[in-house]
Amino acid sequence: MDDGLGSAALREIGLSAAAFIALSALFFGLIGREPIAMLGAIAEASVGSGYALGESVLRATPILLCALATLTPARVGQMSVGAEGQLYFGALTGTGVVLAFPQAPSVVLMPALLAAGAAGGALWALLPALLRVAARVNETISTLLLNYVAALLVTWLVYGPWKNPHSQGWPATIDFPDAARLPTLWDSRVHAGLLLALALAVLLHGLFTRTRWGLVLDILRSNPRAGQQAGLSLARQIVLTMLIGGALAGLAGIAETSAVQGRLQADLSNGAGLSGFLVAWLARGNVLRAIALALLVGALLAAGDGLQMSAGVPSSATLVVQGLLFVAVLGVGGWRARAMASRRTGAVDV
Amino acid sequence: MHIRLHGISKRFGQVQAVDRVDFEARPGTVTALLGENGAGKSTLMKLLFGLHRPDAGYIELDGQTQLVDSPRTAIRFGIGMVFQQFSLIGSLTVRENLALVLPQGAWWIGRGARRLAAIDRHLAAVLPEIDPNARVADLSVGQVQSVELAKVLLLRARCVILDEPSAVLSPTEAQQLWRSIRQLAERGLSVVLITHKLADVRACADRVSVMRAGRLVGDVPAGDLDEAAVVRLMVGHAPDKVRTPLPRDPAARVRLWVKAIRAGSLNELSLQVHAGEIVGVAGVSGSGQTELAQALGGVLPVQAGEVILDGERLRAPRYSSPTSAKLAYIPEQPLLNAVAPDLSLSVNLALKRVAGLSFVPDRRQLERHASALIARFDVRPPDPRALAGWLSGGNLQKLVAARELSESPAVVVACYPTMGLDITAAAQVYESLFGLAREGSAVLWISEDLDDLMTHAHRIAVMLDGRVVRVLDAAETTLAELGSWMTGSGVRPCAKSA
Repeated sequence: MDDGLGSAALREIGLSAAAFIALSALFFGLIGREPIAMLGAIAEASVGSGYALGESVLRATPILLCALATLTPARVGQMSVGAEGQLYFGALTGTGVVLAFPQAPSVVLMPALLAAGAAGGALWALLPALLRVAARVNETISTLLLNYVAALLVTWLVYGPWKNPHSQGWPATIDFPDAARLPTLWDSRVHAGLLLALALAVLLHGLFTRTRWGLVLDILRSNPRAGQQAGLSLARQIVLTMLIGGALAGLAGIAETSAVQGRLQADLSNGAGLSGFLVAWLARGNVLRAIALALLVGALLAAGDGLQMSAGVPSSATLVVQGLLFVAVLGVGGWRARAMASRRTGAVDV
Repeated sequence: MHIRLHGISKRFGQVQAVDRVDFEARPGTVTALLGENGAGKSTLMKLLFGLHRPDAGYIELDGQTQLVDSPRTAIRFGIGMVFQQFSLIGSLTVRENLALVLPQGAWWIGRGARRLAAIDRHLAAVLPEIDPNARVADLSVGQVQSVELAKVLLLRARCVILDEPSAVLSPTEAQQLWRSIRQLAERGLSVVLITHKLADVRACADRVSVMRAGRLVGDVPAGDLDEAAVVRLMVGHAPDKVRTPLPRDPAARVRLWVKAIRAGSLNELSLQVHAGEIVGVAGVSGSGQTELAQALGGVLPVQAGEVILDGERLRAPRYSSPTSAKLAYIPEQPLLNAVAPDLSLSVNLALKRVAGLSFVPDRRQLERHASALIARFDVRPPDPRALAGWLSGGNLQKLVAARELSESPAVVVACYPTMGLDITAAAQVYESLFGLAREGSAVLWISEDLDDLMTHAHRIAVMLDGRVVRVLDAAETTLAELGSWMTGSGVRPCAKSA
């Protein structure tokens, strides 16, 4: 994978941004809005104020963790789309700890619920990993299907056994005690999960690009046969990366639950798993690019919520804009890859 | 069709790929365009086929100067080209593949369309032995190639260019190819055969044009060919000599002992290779040679028997040992089996040592180590940061040889290590492979080139149906004797292997 962030990458980012602005201006023109004003409104609603910035970063946090959850197995060639389900299951197991020990002090409860969330996500990833290794079940399909299982499990719990008896029909667990609430930062809704996600991202970037482990993953991805010939175990690395990925998504789930919602509820992911998958895909395995893209996507989604209220644009319009962002980044990336490939064959083909 | 190229030149960046070349192909003749990898022979023919535009010079077809600016134009003029990379679609049948190229074939042409009858007639005439309803994916390499040729002929080609057609074929398939090439010439077509193999020239060429470093350096009739002189022309100097093997020491200890193994199609195969000995493995393709290499290399699990390396168990049923540092394994098709194409040469050269690297590997140190190996084995480009996937086939083989042969292994298992290599590169690989035998390694070498086997090996183990049917002394055997054991006609019941 391309792990640099050199001048070529910066040029690519610039081109993508230009393509994205042109496409979304066209879109706003089509729906009868003043393009420049709308782009300005988006910028305003995403980074225009301290509050807006906070909301953007808040949206970006689970997206970044889910992007890392997709990207880690992808380093060894596994295409997992299970971040969404791992997020739900992590939220579920983390909440289980809170419900079991609601009176525990924060120093115990906080690490325990984070650990339980990570473990739950990892567990949810373990099944497809083992199926992949033992029975060659396609990991994309199995993780995709398990997403529904996990989300429906949470739905069942919050409508049934774990439902707060005093919530008057609102399907959710009891509110978390203060000891189980992840601290927020800078007097905003941004929570410590952001710092955790950024630290983990930097750690993973170092592991992927600098260490022997990263090299092992690169080799097994590039040619599993040659890697196994060299004594490396593909099965072990598949299980390991899927577990790590699951733990990251599980963390995203429990962090959202603990910091933002303060209780387990059915629609907690807000599409973070899917957005994370798209971010990982656009970042092409590069953690640094994933950080930048996660922030960008988070800002766009937050702007969508803001615009709906202030400019009267349906929030689905920002979904279109998010789609245009993906088209712009993918299109420019694909075009550059092709240009580079043709330059290379021209040089070698003698 | 009478083709003449006049003063053709083509430059790619810094490389003058083709330099003022005059070339001629006459109707009814087979012209071999001979040269090492990178000599410019494929580029010259791609210029004729309209895939590249020449920087200088012009093309004369049947006495008229023509501009060939695209393959489409070339095909209209009656020029057809069969490439090394096949262009057929595996999931379609032979007939459907041919239907795709008919210029008048409309896009709505269906599977049952009546005009396919014309294709069937054509196939029956040129390829009677192939079922038009067979899926291309189910055909052998040789058959796919003849379908490619039939496709070119369907477009009424009067000149056929074949780009290294024998590189991927087994000896039997190559003989069939040579026969069909002769038939094309007899029908009055002009045939250009791009190759680096003298065997191709010997078998079917009328004229030989030799290219080196972009220039045409020789043009002679094939009849009175001085092969040594042609090789000198191709290579630019007297060919590198691979040193003749040291005499075999009958008292040398056994280093590789294969004891009645079963794996894949291998059936109780036994074999011994002694210190300092080169044992060649011959056999009709598909007799189990590649499975033998894979079983020894640890890719194919052994179901029965065992393999002993220097007195220690290397392979046995339900026994998966880590790769042994004492074993060098050069698998067939290195791109598929031995290198990580997306990674740098320095990583690929360290592949076997990855598990032993420090937690944060020193990339500089890896690159220094790689640079030394790259220089020693003449891998190009000589850049440790180049990606393995950029390398040509010959350089990939050298890359794998550099990794596997550099650390004085006890046993070397090499499966078709020179397939696709030109003379210079093959000599380099042979020299490093057989040089190890001089230092006491045991070398097991699988090859389809019987001449090479008889020149370089001490003993030749002949395989048939997954077993070694005979081990012959290379100095005393003959091609005829080898051939009879390979096909099984010389087999007596209960032939015992060594």
